[in-house]
Amino acid sequence: MSQEQVNDAERQVLVSIVVRGMARGEASPEHQSLAESGLLLIKGPMIMPTPAGTALVGEQLRLAADAPERERLMATFHRFLPVNRNLRDLCTAWQMRPDGSVNDHSDPSYDAEIRDRLDDIDDAIAPLLKRFAEDVPDLTGYRERLTEALDRLDAGDNAWLASPLIDSYHTVWMHLHQHLLLTIGMSRAEDEALEEQLVSGNHG
Amino acid sequence: MPQAPIDDVGLVPFGKGFERGLDARSLCTRGVQMETLAGLGLPVAVGLTIPVPNVPGMVTVDRAAAAINLLESSAGRLVGARTDDGGLLLLRLSASAPVATAGLPVDLVAIGLLNGQIPSGLPEKMHADLANSWWKSASAIAEFGCQVPNDEISSLDLDIADVTQRIAALITVCNDKGTQPFPLDAAGQLAAGAQAMLSRWNSPRAARARRAQQLPADLPLGLHLETFVVTDHNDAGHGHAISRDLTTGQFAPNGGFRHGFRASGERQTIGHPLNLLPGGVSMLTGVLAELEGRLQSVALVDFDYGPEGLTLVGLEELNRTSARVATSLAVDLATRGITDERTAVAAIKPPHVLELLHPRPRLTGHEQQLVTGLAASPGAAVGRIALTSEEAVELAESGDSVILVSAETTPGDLPGMMAAVGILTVTGGSASHAAVVARGMGRPAICGAGGLVINRAAGTVSAGEHVLSRGDVISIDGDSGTAYVGEVAIERPEPSFALSTVLSWADDVRRLGVRANADTRADAATAMDNGAEGIGLCRTEHMFLGDRLPLIRRVILSHDPQSETAALSALADVQREDFRELLLACGDRPVTVRLLDAPMHEFLPEHPDDAEDEHQAKMAESLHEENPMLGVRGVRLAMLHEGLYPAQVEGLFNAWIDVNTQYGIAPELEVMVPLVSIPDELLMMLRLIRRVNQEVATRTGVVVPFKIGTMVETPRAALMADQLAQSAEFLSFGTNDLTQLTYGFSRDDVERRMLGTYLERGLLTASPFAELDPIGVAGLMQIAVERARSVRPDIKLGICGEHGGDPASIAICERLGLNYVSCSPGRVPVARLAAAHASMHPASH
Repeated sequence: MSQEQVNDAERQVLVSIVVRGMARGEASPEHQSLAESGLLLIKGPMIMPTPAGTALVGEQLRLAADAPERERLMATFHRFLPVNRNLRDLCTAWQMRPDGSVNDHSDPSYDAEIRDRLDDIDDAIAPLLKRFAEDVPDLTGYRERLTEALDRLDAGDNAWLASPLIDSYHTVWMHLHQHLLLTIGMSRAEDEALEEQLVSGNHG
Repeated sequence: MPQAPIDDVGLVPFGKGFERGLDARSLCTRGVQMETLAGLGLPVAVGLTIPVPNVPGMVTVDRAAAAINLLESSAGRLVGARTDDGGLLLLRLSASAPVATAGLPVDLVAIGLLNGQIPSGLPEKMHADLANSWWKSASAIAEFGCQVPNDEISSLDLDIADVTQRIAALITVCNDKGTQPFPLDAAGQLAAGAQAMLSRWNSPRAARARRAQQLPADLPLGLHLETFVVTDHNDAGHGHAISRDLTTGQFAPNGGFRHGFRASGERQTIGHPLNLLPGGVSMLTGVLAELEGRLQSVALVDFDYGPEGLTLVGLEELNRTSARVATSLAVDLATRGITDERTAVAAIKPPHVLELLHPRPRLTGHEQQLVTGLAASPGAAVGRIALTSEEAVELAESGDSVILVSAETTPGDLPGMMAAVGILTVTGGSASHAAVVARGMGRPAICGAGGLVINRAAGTVSAGEHVLSRGDVISIDGDSGTAYVGEVAIERPEPSFALSTVLSWADDVRRLGVRANADTRADAATAMDNGAEGIGLCRTEHMFLGDRLPLIRRVILSHDPQSETAALSALADVQREDFRELLLACGDRPVTVRLLDAPMHEFLPEHPDDAEDEHQAKMAESLHEENPMLGVRGVRLAMLHEGLYPAQVEGLFNAWIDVNTQYGIAPELEVMVPLVSIPDELLMMLRLIRRVNQEVATRTGVVVPFKIGTMVETPRAALMADQLAQSAEFLSFGTNDLTQLTYGFSRDDVERRMLGTYLERGLLTASPFAELDPIGVAGLMQIAVERARSVRPDIKLGICGEHGGDPASIAICERLGLNYVSCSPGRVPVARLAAAHASMHPASH
C-alpha cells in the first residue's frame, strides 16, 4: 500500500500505534481501515502494527539526511542519551532495591530519594524537550504527557513512575525515545552503542 | 522556617563531637558517622561539621573563612595549593540532617578553585574530571547563591560543549545577571555554597521529600566540610566496601575502587573489584566486622587510598536489606554473642520468610543450560518459544505458556511481552526499557543473553550446540539470568541454614503450637519438613471426587439399603488407603481428620444425563438446595445418612492399625465433626464413632486410641462451647465460616463486589477473611474459649482456617490462649515465626 492511500487521521493513528507498540480497546474505523490495508493487526482487544505498518511509519517520520533540522536534532539527541540512561537506572531502582529484592514501596525514605532524583532528570530533559519540539513539531506533546505522569505520581499512585500498562513517566519516555529513533532513522543497536559510548565517555 | 538561635558550639572537627557532648541533633547523621569511624582509631578524612545551630552563619564570608582556616591548619596545607606529588587540595561541602533522610542537597565538590578557574598544567584526565565536578558545583552556586535563572544555566550547558569555556561563560552571566558576582575565592565560594544548600533544602522539592517521609517540615540541616586531594597519582583513588555479599547474605567484604578523586557526590559503583585493592583488604575486613557489631546492621564504608594507606571518609548503615542478608546477619550477631537468640527472632519478619521460600527453579544438575544473560526481572517461567509478538499472542491464545525470545526489544514487542510468561532478549541491559517493562508487568526476564542467535526466517534459536525451534519448551530463571532447555521444576526451596536456625530459635520462644492443613501424603510431608507439629486439618472432601464420586452418589441418592451398604463398604476401603498414606507421613504426631463437610450439591449430578439411572436423576432434582453453603452440609448430611461417618472412621481406624502394625508408628488421631450448632448433633455422632471403634477392636483385637472434637464455625457453636466441651476433647475454630456467619457475609460475593469500597471508605481496615476480625469474631472466640475451659480446663483449642497462617491473626490466637494454629504447609515457617513474635509481644486487646 502506498502512503498516499493513508489519510491524515489514519496516519496519526498509525504513528501513535507504532510509537506505542500497541493499542488496546475497541477498534475504531481508522483501525479497521488500516487493518484492511495490512498495516495493523487486530487481535481481540489488542491492536498491533504489522511489519509493513512499522516500515511505512519509519519512512514517513525519518528526516532526510540533508534536512536542515537534522544536525541540531542529532546534537540534542546526544544530550538525551545519557539522561535516558539515568532515567532507566532510576526506574530500575524504583522497581528493585540495590540488593536485587523487589521494592515493595514500604520504605518511604527510599522512595522519596528516588522521587527526588526524578526531579534532576525532569530538570535535565526540560530544555531538551523544548529543542526537540522546536525542530520537529510532532514531538511537542511529550512535555505535557510527562508532567501529567508526574502529577499523578505525586497524587500518590506509585504506578505512574514505571508501570508499562499506563502512560507512566517511563512509558511516555519510552514513546519519546522510539519517536526520536524513527525520526532520526537509527536502529536500536546503533542507539545502544551510541549511548554506551556517550555515558562511558562522560564517566572518564 | 523558624531557625534555632545561634548557640556557638563552634566548628567540630571529625572525631571531636562526642567528646564535646554533641549528638545527632547538632552533628547530624554524617557527623555521627564520622565520629563512629574516628572511634575505631583509624585515619579518617580531615574535615569538620558545622553543627545545626551554626549553619545559618556559614553563609557569611567571615564564618566560612574561619572554617577553612581550621581545616588548613589540620591539613597543614592551604586550600587550592599543590601537594608534593602534583595533587591539588580542595574542599567538599556536604549536608545531612539529624535523622536519615532523602532529598538532601548533593555534595558540592571542588570548592576553593582560585578565580573559579581550573589551574593550567594539570594532566588531561584530571583536568576533565575536575572541570565536570566544578561545573556542577559552580552551577549550584550560580543558581542558588547568585540567583541566576535555571534556563540561562541550561542554555549554557546545551550550547557550550567545552566545560572550561562553559564555566567561564557562567561566571560572566553571574556577574552580569546575578544578585551578586560569582565568588572567586574559597571563602566566598563556601559561603555561597552554604547558601545554595540551604536554598535547596528549603525548596518545594525538598519539602515534598520530607512530607513523603513524614518528617517535620522544619527539619534542620547540618553541613560538613572536608579536604580532599585531586590527584592523578597511580596509587591513589577511592572506593567503597560493604560488609556482606548482598546476594548470599554471608559476611564477605566486597565493593569496588577506582583511580582518581571522588568527583561526584554520588557513590560510583563502577571500578575494580575490592579484592584487587592495593595494600589488600584485611584492614577493611576488620573495620566492617567491628562496625557490624556496633551498628547491628550491614555496614558500608567509603574510603580513599593512597601511598600512605587508607583513609575512611564515609559510613552508611544498610538497615533495609533482603531476607537472605537479614537472616544471615541476625544469626551471625547472635552467634557472636553481640545480640541474643530472641533478638535474632525479633529481627526477622514474616515477609522475610515468604521471600526466602518463594518458589524458584529446583536444579538437579542434569539440566541443559541454554544460555546465560543478565538477571533482569526476578522469578522463573517455563513456556514455549515465540519469536515475534504475533506468535506470542497466538500461542497464548491457544492456551500455551509462552517465552518471548527476541534480539532487541522495541515498543512493538509489548503485545508479545504481555502475552508471554517470561522474556529472553539477546541485547539490552538489566536497566533497559525492556527490563523496566518486564518488571512492571511482573514477568521474569533475562536480558543481554549475547550467546543467543535468533534466526526468525528459519524459526530457530541457537546457542552453542543447542538449536531450538519456535514452539520448543525452555525455562528461564530471572533471578540468576540462566535459561535452560526444556522444563525445569519450579518449587519452594529448602530453608537456608540461617533461616532454619532462626526458626529453631523461634520454636524455643513460642507458646502456640503450629500444625498444617494437609489432605495428602505429599502435603503432609512438606508440612513436616517445614516444621509442622502435626496435622490440624485433614479435609476429606477431595477424597470423594473423581472416580470416587459414583460411590458417594450412591450413598446419597440410593433407593435401596443394600446398594447403600455396598457403597459405604467400598467407601470405607478407599478411605483406608487414603488415610494410610497420610498417616505414614505424620509419624507419632497428632492428626485431626475432619469428617465429610461439603455442600451436598458438589456430589449431585449436574445434568440428569450424568445420573446412573432415572431414579438417581429424580432424587437429585428433589435434593436441589437454594443455599447449599447453609444447607445439608457437614454433620447434617451425616444425620440424614447415618452410615456415612461410620464408614469414614472405619477406614481411618483400619488405616491406623495398618501403619501401627507395619511401621510401628502411632499417630494421635483426632476425629472432628463439622458444622455442629446443636450439642446433641455431636453427641449422636460420638456414639456412632465409639461403636465403630469397638467393632474394629472386636474384629482386630486392637483398640485404636482417638480423641473426638468438633469445629466451631457457627456463632451458636461458639456460644454453646461449654455444652460442646462436655463431649468434645478438642475444639477447632473454622474461622472462614465463623467470619461469614458472624458478619452475614457471603465471602465470594462480598470480596468480589463490596470489599474494595468498604476498604476505601474505611469501614474495614482489612479483609476479615485474610485478617481475623479482632473484635467481633475474636470476641465470639473468646466467649467460646472461656466457656469450653470452664467445663474442661485441659480442652485443646486450635484454629484451622486460612487465618492460621496470618501473622496478625496468630497474634490474636496467642491472646486468646489457643493451643495451636493450623495453616497451609507452605505457611508453616511463617506461622512458627509469627507465633514466636506473638509470645514476645502479646497483643494488648
